[in-house]
Amino acid sequence: MSKYSIGEFEEIVLLTVAVLYENAYGITIKKEIEDRLERKVSVGAMRTALKRLEKKGFLESEFGEATAIRGGKRKRYFKVTVYGKRALDYVMSTRKQLWDAIPPMAFEFK
Amino acid sequence: MQDQQQKINPPKLALKFLRWFCSSDLIEDVEGDLLELFDERSSISYAHAKRRFILDVILLFRPGIIKNISYYSTSATMFQNHLITALRHIFRYKGYTTINLLGLVVGLASSILILTWVRDEIKMDTLHEKEVYKVWRNMYQSNGEIQTTEAIPQPLVEVLNNEYPQIDKVSTISAQTEILFRNGDETSFESGVYASADFFNIFNFNIIAGNGKNPLDDMYSLVLSKSMAERYFGDVKSAIGKTLMVNEQKQEFVVTAVVEDKNTNSAIKFDWMIPVEEYISRNDWIESWDNGGFYIYFSLKDGADISEVNARIEQEINKHTNTEVDERLITQSIKDTYLYSEFKNGVPVSGRIRYIKILSGIAIFLLVMACIKFMNLATARSSRRAKEVGVRKVLGAQKELISQQFFVESFLLTFISVGLALVIVSLVLPYFNQLTNKELSLSLTDPEVLLSLAGITFIVGFLSGSYPAILLPTFGITDSLKGMIRGSKFNQTLRNTLVVFQFAMAIMLIIGTFVVMSQIDYILNKNLGLKKDNLLYFNMSEDYTGKEDAYRNKLMKFPQIKDVTFTSGNPVSYGRSTSSASWEGKSPDDMLEINVMITDAHFFSAMGTEMKEGRGFVEGRQTDKSTFVINEVAAKLIGFENPLDQKLSVWGIDGTIIGVVKDFHMNSLYEPIKPLIISNLPEYTNTAFIRIEGDLQEALYQIEKTSKEISPSYPFRYKFLDQEYAESYSNEIIIGTMIRIFAFIAIFISCLGLFGLSSYSADQRSKEIGIRKINGANTWGIVYLLSKNYSKLIIIAFVLASPIAYYFAKEWLENFTFHVDINYFIFFAAGMIAFLIGALTVSIKSYQAASVNPIKTLKSE
Repeated sequence: MSKYSIGEFEEIVLLTVAVLYENAYGITIKKEIEDRLERKVSVGAMRTALKRLEKKGFLESEFGEATAIRGGKRKRYFKVTVYGKRALDYVMSTRKQLWDAIPPMAFEFK
Repeated sequence: MQDQQQKINPPKLALKFLRWFCSSDLIEDVEGDLLELFDERSSISYAHAKRRFILDVILLFRPGIIKNISYYSTSATMFQNHLITALRHIFRYKGYTTINLLGLVVGLASSILILTWVRDEIKMDTLHEKEVYKVWRNMYQSNGEIQTTEAIPQPLVEVLNNEYPQIDKVSTISAQTEILFRNGDETSFESGVYASADFFNIFNFNIIAGNGKNPLDDMYSLVLSKSMAERYFGDVKSAIGKTLMVNEQKQEFVVTAVVEDKNTNSAIKFDWMIPVEEYISRNDWIESWDNGGFYIYFSLKDGADISEVNARIEQEINKHTNTEVDERLITQSIKDTYLYSEFKNGVPVSGRIRYIKILSGIAIFLLVMACIKFMNLATARSSRRAKEVGVRKVLGAQKELISQQFFVESFLLTFISVGLALVIVSLVLPYFNQLTNKELSLSLTDPEVLLSLAGITFIVGFLSGSYPAILLPTFGITDSLKGMIRGSKFNQTLRNTLVVFQFAMAIMLIIGTFVVMSQIDYILNKNLGLKKDNLLYFNMSEDYTGKEDAYRNKLMKFPQIKDVTFTSGNPVSYGRSTSSASWEGKSPDDMLEINVMITDAHFFSAMGTEMKEGRGFVEGRQTDKSTFVINEVAAKLIGFENPLDQKLSVWGIDGTIIGVVKDFHMNSLYEPIKPLIISNLPEYTNTAFIRIEGDLQEALYQIEKTSKEISPSYPFRYKFLDQEYAESYSNEIIIGTMIRIFAFIAIFISCLGLFGLSSYSADQRSKEIGIRKINGANTWGIVYLLSKNYSKLIIIAFVLASPIAYYFAKEWLENFTFHVDINYFIFFAAGMIAFLIGALTVSIKSYQAASVNPIKTLKSE
């Protein structure tokens, strides 16, 4: 984990951003996570995660057009960077390696 | 969009909070997210949406979202810029700066002066190393009253020393007395105290020469103050070991130590100190539980509990006496004795603390007024500053930056003001010391002083800067640039409120001044029941014993001398009393303290008292030796229907009452008149009273000559009764003067503010005035137009201030048993003064504005 440091919640957020592709901004990310994982996500927790991911270089963001419904505030759309993709790959491959290394007997519950 | 927002608004406060803490690169979309969510949720339930919104905002308040704190530390250059702009402003608008500074400096200087005084008062007797307590004696009277005295039976010292494990050291101290010292042929009276050996083990007095450990060990040792030592022996060092003759004792005393003069921190003051044992050896009456002696102080052992002492000490007198008298002892920490020395029902209730409260109140008043004035002017000028704010905003300044700028400005001005105020304080302090009879100083190296100065600077800077700093940045950019900030309604209301507030305080102070002055006037001119003017008196030395008649006869030959009488003390400040008087019908259990005065046959005529019934003593009539005259209060207390010819027994003299004298005041006007028995025993008198009429110089010359013939070895010293009487109210007079001065300052500050405001509004309305003039308005009409608003404000201030002032004035006056009634004319006069001064201030500026040629104001854009 020394190469790409990423927390569990951060990983979920990062994956969700990828899932949403071009429509990933605050609210949609929050809703997507809430729907898929059936857990509550506060704006604050999600924001901090997004900010941290961006700081680490896993995400990049840009402002969209202003819309009336948001009191004239622009949306900030997030996109997974190449570096972010690599981090996700890394996480997945390490997990996979671990899975592969599990001897079959380990999961033989009687 | 507008409609939608009107319909459903997110909680404003939460939104403001979010905007305040959220870092600037996140705020836009975070806020957007929240608004979107809010919109969505509120389509289900508005209340739910609101709750969730607030919750979300609170949950957002976490590191990562909150603004970077280092933002402030990088703004050093910005700060420098603020400082430069502030200075530029200060120099650019000199008139405005002067008015602002003047108000702040005067307000600050006054407050600092007062607080220095307050500090000195509060610090009195608080610097002794140990916990020191004073013993008080509550005497329960039969009529339910409790009289409290500090004269404690001397045997208590033994008891406290031997039976109380909690007590460390005990010391007896006498009241300040004057005794005559002789050094060769030179004689002079000096005031000092008798004290027991442990005095220096309890109190911290700085011994600068001689025996620093136990200078009072020997019965005939003498401790001198530095100034007295220098007066007699040239310098401190050579005083040690020398002797001084004390007249009363006919005894030489050896100087064993010299103490620092300025023990101003202790209420116990003395030029000399002699062991109390010496006094006791000559006065064995003091060694009795039945007599009140000197004052008793004691210090506690470390960790001892005063409540244990209190529980036990209460009944000490009753335990050691057999009479029915109920006297209980209480203790008071010496830290409180100076401020709380007035007792009511045996409990300390008040004292000098009263004046500390009044003056601290005034100090706060003045500070607040100066802040208000500053705020007011800044708000009024906000339109002038609006353009600047607009330009700054356009160039990218955030609100915080603009707030910061105004705070820097107000703090800078406050800082300068505090500096100037300190200069003024140091210049005025000598005069202030003269006025208050103190030796105050302001040492800037004292951390406590520095800290409070820093505190004052901060509070004043913050208060005066807060309004402009918070208000100005909220103006819209376009409005500010157009200069459209023509005082919002709120702005104006606030300004008016502040003016009212300010004037209300000033009016309260004026009313207070009038009330205090009229009470002082009342005290000094009150008919005391005897004629106190032109009455000279002095204590007679032992040389006069038996020669009173001869002295009187000699004096009466001079036409300037109208009358001479001898008494046992000053009748206007009398305190010799007994509870042993008895009369028919008095139960032996009754405990009633009655004053007894000893006089001669000339007392009533010389003092100018009036008889209510009966007669005074007749000279030379032997049978009158065993007669008494009582005052009206005593007559009522004793309760005979017809007091004349009734039997009365005082101090072992059985006699009859031959007259009732109309009440005269024997104590301060704080207290009611006490019962008095006057007896006719000229041989026991010690004070001579001489009534003078006509040429004072000649009279004084003759009196001195005659006195020197009888008592050649004593210096001739005298006092005038009316002066001494006024002197006894010096505290009230000092406080009265202080209140008067500060009321004047308060008015001054208010007027400065009003002047600034009126010049601002005249400035703002210059075009309007020009147009009005062109249309035929005359100058006075315009002056009226500009002034009438302020007149209204002053009237409102008056209406608000009067009841509050009335309440406090009444409370203060009720401390006095004898006081003036509050005259409603005082209120009227105070209101008129404030109104006239205010109107005058406003008119000056208004007149100036109204008399300008309209062409000038109209052509400029």
